[in-house]
Amino acid sequence: MSTVYRITHRTDYSYEKPVTSSYGQLHMLPRELPTQRIRSASVDIDPQPELYRERIDFFGNRAAYFALHEPHRHLSVSVTSVVEVQARAAELSLFGQQSWEEVRDVVAAGGDNIPHEALQHLLDSPRVTAAEVYRDYAATAIRPGQGAFEAVAALCTQIHADFEYKPGSTSVTTTLEQAFSKRRGVCQDFAHLGIACLRSLGLPARYVSGYLETDPPPGRPKLMGADGSHAWLSVFIPEAGWVDIDPTNDQFVGDRYITTAIGRDYGDVPPMNGVIYTTGKTEKLDVAVDVLVVEPAAL
Amino acid sequence: MTSTFPRPTPAYQPLAGCYDEMLDTEGQPRAHWERLAAVCAELGTRELQRRGDEATRLLEQDGVVYNAYRESPMPGRAWRLDPLPTVLSSREWQDIESGVIERAELLSLVLKDIYGPRELLRRRLLPPELVYGHAGFLRACDGVRLPGAQQLFLYAVDVGRDQSGNVVALADRSQAPSGAGYALENRTVISRVLPSLHREAQVHRLAPFFRSLRTALQEVASGTVEDPRIVVLTPGPLNETAFEHAMLASTLGYPLVQGSDLTVRGDRVWMRSVGQFEPVDVILRRIDDWYSDPLELRADSQLGVPGLLEMARAGTVAVVNPLGSSVLENPALMAFLPKIAQHLLGREPQLPSVQTWWCGEPESLGYVLEHLDELVMRPVNHGPGASTLLGWELPERVLEALRARIERNPRGWVGQAALSLASVPVVTGDGLESRRSVLRTFAVARGDSYDVMPGGLTRVQATAGSRQMSGQAGAITKDTWVLASEPETLTAFWLQSGPAREGIDPMASIPSRAAENLWWLGRYAERSEALTRLLRTVLDRSNEFGNGTNPAGTAALEGLIGALDWIAGADTTLASPVGMLLDNAYGVRDQLSRDTWLVIGPLERVLEELRVPLGSANGHSQAALQQVIQSLLALGGLGVESMVRDLGWRFMDAGRRLERSLELLALLQATLQTARDTATDSIVLESVLSAAESIITYRFRYRSQAQLETVLELLLLDPGNPRSLIYQLDRLIEDLAALPLGSVSRLRPEQRLVLEASSTLRLADLTELVREEEDGSRPALTSLLQRLVELLLRAGTAVDTTHFVHTVPTFALLGAAGAEPSIIRGG
Repeated sequence: MSTVYRITHRTDYSYEKPVTSSYGQLHMLPRELPTQRIRSASVDIDPQPELYRERIDFFGNRAAYFALHEPHRHLSVSVTSVVEVQARAAELSLFGQQSWEEVRDVVAAGGDNIPHEALQHLLDSPRVTAAEVYRDYAATAIRPGQGAFEAVAALCTQIHADFEYKPGSTSVTTTLEQAFSKRRGVCQDFAHLGIACLRSLGLPARYVSGYLETDPPPGRPKLMGADGSHAWLSVFIPEAGWVDIDPTNDQFVGDRYITTAIGRDYGDVPPMNGVIYTTGKTEKLDVAVDVLVVEPAAL
Repeated sequence: MTSTFPRPTPAYQPLAGCYDEMLDTEGQPRAHWERLAAVCAELGTRELQRRGDEATRLLEQDGVVYNAYRESPMPGRAWRLDPLPTVLSSREWQDIESGVIERAELLSLVLKDIYGPRELLRRRLLPPELVYGHAGFLRACDGVRLPGAQQLFLYAVDVGRDQSGNVVALADRSQAPSGAGYALENRTVISRVLPSLHREAQVHRLAPFFRSLRTALQEVASGTVEDPRIVVLTPGPLNETAFEHAMLASTLGYPLVQGSDLTVRGDRVWMRSVGQFEPVDVILRRIDDWYSDPLELRADSQLGVPGLLEMARAGTVAVVNPLGSSVLENPALMAFLPKIAQHLLGREPQLPSVQTWWCGEPESLGYVLEHLDELVMRPVNHGPGASTLLGWELPERVLEALRARIERNPRGWVGQAALSLASVPVVTGDGLESRRSVLRTFAVARGDSYDVMPGGLTRVQATAGSRQMSGQAGAITKDTWVLASEPETLTAFWLQSGPAREGIDPMASIPSRAAENLWWLGRYAERSEALTRLLRTVLDRSNEFGNGTNPAGTAALEGLIGALDWIAGADTTLASPVGMLLDNAYGVRDQLSRDTWLVIGPLERVLEELRVPLGSANGHSQAALQQVIQSLLALGGLGVESMVRDLGWRFMDAGRRLERSLELLALLQATLQTARDTATDSIVLESVLSAAESIITYRFRYRSQAQLETVLELLLLDPGNPRSLIYQLDRLIEDLAALPLGSVSRLRPEQRLVLEASSTLRLADLTELVREEEDGSRPALTSLLQRLVELLLRAGTAVDTTHFVHTVPTFALLGAAGAEPSIIRGG
C-alpha cells in the first residue's frame, strides 16, 4: 500500500533594503527512507543563485547550499517534490512487548547490536536537554513495566491532552523550557517535549520534520495552502528500529506523513537558514505549503 | 661577561617529591645542565635578576602581551619570561620527539575516522557517547578532507614529567594551538639576554620549524594550485593571543585577515583586497571552528565567513586545522588511546597519557567517586563554569556537590591522576626558586609524518604552590633549549635552496581592512600630534600670560583656549585620538615592523595620564605630552625611513597628509579669520606658527615679528615647508595616484577633489587673503579656508567609499516556517 504526494513548499522573503549577498542552507528536500521513495524533487530559487549545490548531510538528509550576490529585495525558494509513501505497520500488536525499562537497559548497555548513531539520540542536544522535570512529567503518563510502545503512546496522549496547540504562540527561538511552562506551543514544541521526556527516561529519541496531509473540514473543498510543514518525533526501540509518533496529533505516524529530514532537534534541520548582508530588516516572510494526493492509496 | 656584584653561587633548593630538571638526586647538575648551572653561579643572583629585567624590557619593546587589548574584559598581562632556559639533552629530546610524532599520527587517524567511517565507534573502541556528546564534534564537518596523509595539520601537546622523570602527555591541543610564536619570541629575547651562553651551547634552532610550517601550508593546498595564496585568519585584535597571530603572519609572510576580510563567491574563498578580490587557497585559522561559518556553525558568529565550510567540503580551500578538529581536545579520549593505538598501530603509544578515567563508564565512575579527593577532575567540554578541579583541595562540602554533579552527568567528566610535576629553577626577587613546569611541544604535518619544533614553550607556576600554568593564569614562561649533539649548519629562515622565487610586487594588494586601519592610523597620528602641539602651545601661553597682567596676552590666551576647544570637538581628551591610533595599529600589527612597538608602546603606558579634559588645559602631565610628541615623531620617522613604499604605506601616508591638512586648516579657521589688535594678533600668530611646528623656520626666514601675510605664505603656500598645506596636498596627490582602481584617463573622485583643492590654493591671492573689513573680518581668507575644508572632507569620504569594504550588518534569515501550523486532527 502506498500513496503518492506532490508537495510544493514556497517561501517568499521581502526585504526593506536591498540585500547584496545571501547565503542559504535548505533542509527541504525529502529524503529516501525504507518507507518513502522520492520520485522527483527540485528547488527553484529566484533570483537565480550564483552557486547551488546539494549534498547528503551527517544524518542522511538532503541539504542544499546556495549563494547569490546580485542585489535583491525579494527572495523566493520553491521546492516541489513527488514522494511515494508506504503505509507503516504501526499497530502496536505487531511488535513485541518489551517493557520500556528493558529497552532503556538494553540501550544503556550499548552493545554492538545497537547502532552507534542511535546512541547519540540519548544525549542532550542544543535545544533539548533532558532534565528531572521531564522525567517526572513522563512518569505521570506511563507505568512501570509498561510495554515500550504503549508507554510512548501514553506519553504522547498526555502531551496532547495537557498542551494547547496554538499557532503563533511560540517561534523558532522559543526554548523548550518556555513552551513547557506555558503549556502551549506548535508542533515543534510538542516534538521537543516528547524527545526531552523520552531522553530523560533513557530512551533514544530524535526529531523529524516533514509534512502531513490534512483533511479538509467536512463538506468543504481542500484549501490550497492549508497544509504546513510539520514536525514529530521518532523513538528507538531495538526490536523495531525507529518508530515515529506525532504528539501534536496523538498518533503513530502512517502514510499521511512525508518525511523531509531527521536530526537531534529542530536546530539540525531548519527548513531554511542563512546569512544575508543588508542594512535593512526582513519585512515579510510568506510560506505556502500544499500537499496533494496524486495517486491515492491502492486498496 | 664580568659583573661588579659579589658572586655568591645562587642557592637552589629543588622542590621535594618530584623530579628536578636541573639537579639529580645527589644535588648535582645533570650533565646537560652543567654549563647553565656554572653560568648561574658565575653571574650570581643580582646579575641574573638584571638579565630577567632585560628580558622583560625587550619583550615590552616588542609589545609582547597576552591579552593586550585594553578594552578587553580580561586584564591584559605582560608576557612573563624567565631568563633561565629549560635544557633538554639530545637523547631526552629524541624520545619526546618520536613520542610526539607518533601521538600526532595516531590522533590524525582518529580524527579521520571520527569525521569519516566511524569504525572506532562501531567497534566500540571509542564509546559513541564520548564522541557524540562532545561539543567539539561538529556534525556539519562530517566528511571534510584535507589533501595529504595527515588530517591533523598542526598539533600541540602539553607534556610533563612524573615523579620518576618519565614524560607524560597531559593535554592535547588540536583546535588552533597557540604558543609556537611565543616560543620563537622567547628564543629571540633569551638569545639576546644570554648571548654567549646561547652561542656556545649549540641549541637547536626554531627557524626550521617555521620553515616546515610554511612548506606544509603550501603542500596542503589542493593539488592543482601552483603558487597557493595563504592567509592567517584571526578573530581580531581583541583576542588574547592576537600578538601571536600577527607575529606568525609576519614571520611566515602571509596576510593576517579577519573573517570580514574574506568572502565566498562562486566556489572559492576570496580575500577582499584593495581594489579586487584575490583567491585564497589555504587558511591557517586561529579562530575556533565553531565560530568559523555562521551559515552552518554558530549562527551569531561575526568572526566567521558564511559559506566557508561548504568551500572546505568542496576542497577549493584548505582550512587548517580542519573545522571540527577540536573534538580531539576531549580529555576523555586519553582513556581510550592505548586500545585505539593497539588497533590502529599495533602497539601502545610511546608517549603515555596521564592516567585518565572517563566517568561515562560505570567502573571508571565508581573508581573516580571513590578517589575523588585525590584526582584532578576535568569537564569533558570547555565552557562557562567548566574549570578543572583538584579533588584534594576541595572542602568536603564542595566535594559532595561535585560528586552530585558528576553523578547527574557522568559522561561530562573525567578524572585524572595527579602528577607531581617536575621542577625547574626560576629567577625571582629572592634568588633561584623551584617551580613546577609543563612543556608545550608543537608538530606540523609534513608528507606522511610530522616535523616537531625542537623544544617548545615551557610554562611554570607563577608563584610557588599555584596550580595553574596557563597564559590566563599569568604563568611564567621559559625558553626551551634542546642541545644539539653536533653543531648545526646554519640556515637562515629565508634562505632556501632551489630556484629563486619571484618577489611579491610591492604594490601587491593587502586586505582592504588593513588598508583602512593604516589610513586611520595615519589620520589619528596626525590628529594626536596636532592636538598635542596646540595644547602645549596653550600651556606655554598660559604660563606666560595666565596671571592676567598683559591684556594682549590674556586676549590671545583666551582665543587660543577657544580654538583648542573648537578643534578638539568630540575628542574631549587626548586619550581619545591616541587610543584610536593604538587600536588601528593593533589591527595591522602584522604590517608594522617590530620597531613600531618600540616607538608607540610607550603611548599605551601614558594613555591613562592623557585622560584629562582638553578644555581645562591644566592637569596635563608635561612628561606624558612629551612622550606623545616623541612617539609620534618617531613613528613619522619610521614611516619615512623604514617602511617600503607599498600599498599599505600609501594609505597611511595619504591618511597623514589629509589629516595634517585638515588640522592646519582648522587651526587657521579658529585663530585667524578675524583681526584683533596688533599686539594680540602678533601673539596669536606666533602661537599658530608654534602649534604648526613652523616657528623656527619663520624666524629664520623672515627675521621679523609675525605678520599675517608671511605666516600664510609659509603655512599655506611654501612647497618647501613640510608642514605647509601645499606640501601636504602635493604628497596626497602622489599617494592617491599610486592606489589601485584608477585608470589613466579618468581620475577617481578623491583625486579630483584633492586636485581641485590644490589648484584653488595655488590660485589664491595672498594680498586679497589678508584684506580686512572694518569689523576685522577677513572674508577672502574665511571663504578660502571654508572651501578647502569642504573639498578635503569630501576627499576623505571618497577614499573611504572607493577603497574600503564596508561589510553591512548581517542577519540570519528566519528559519522558514519553523514547523508552522498544521490542522490538528483528533482534537
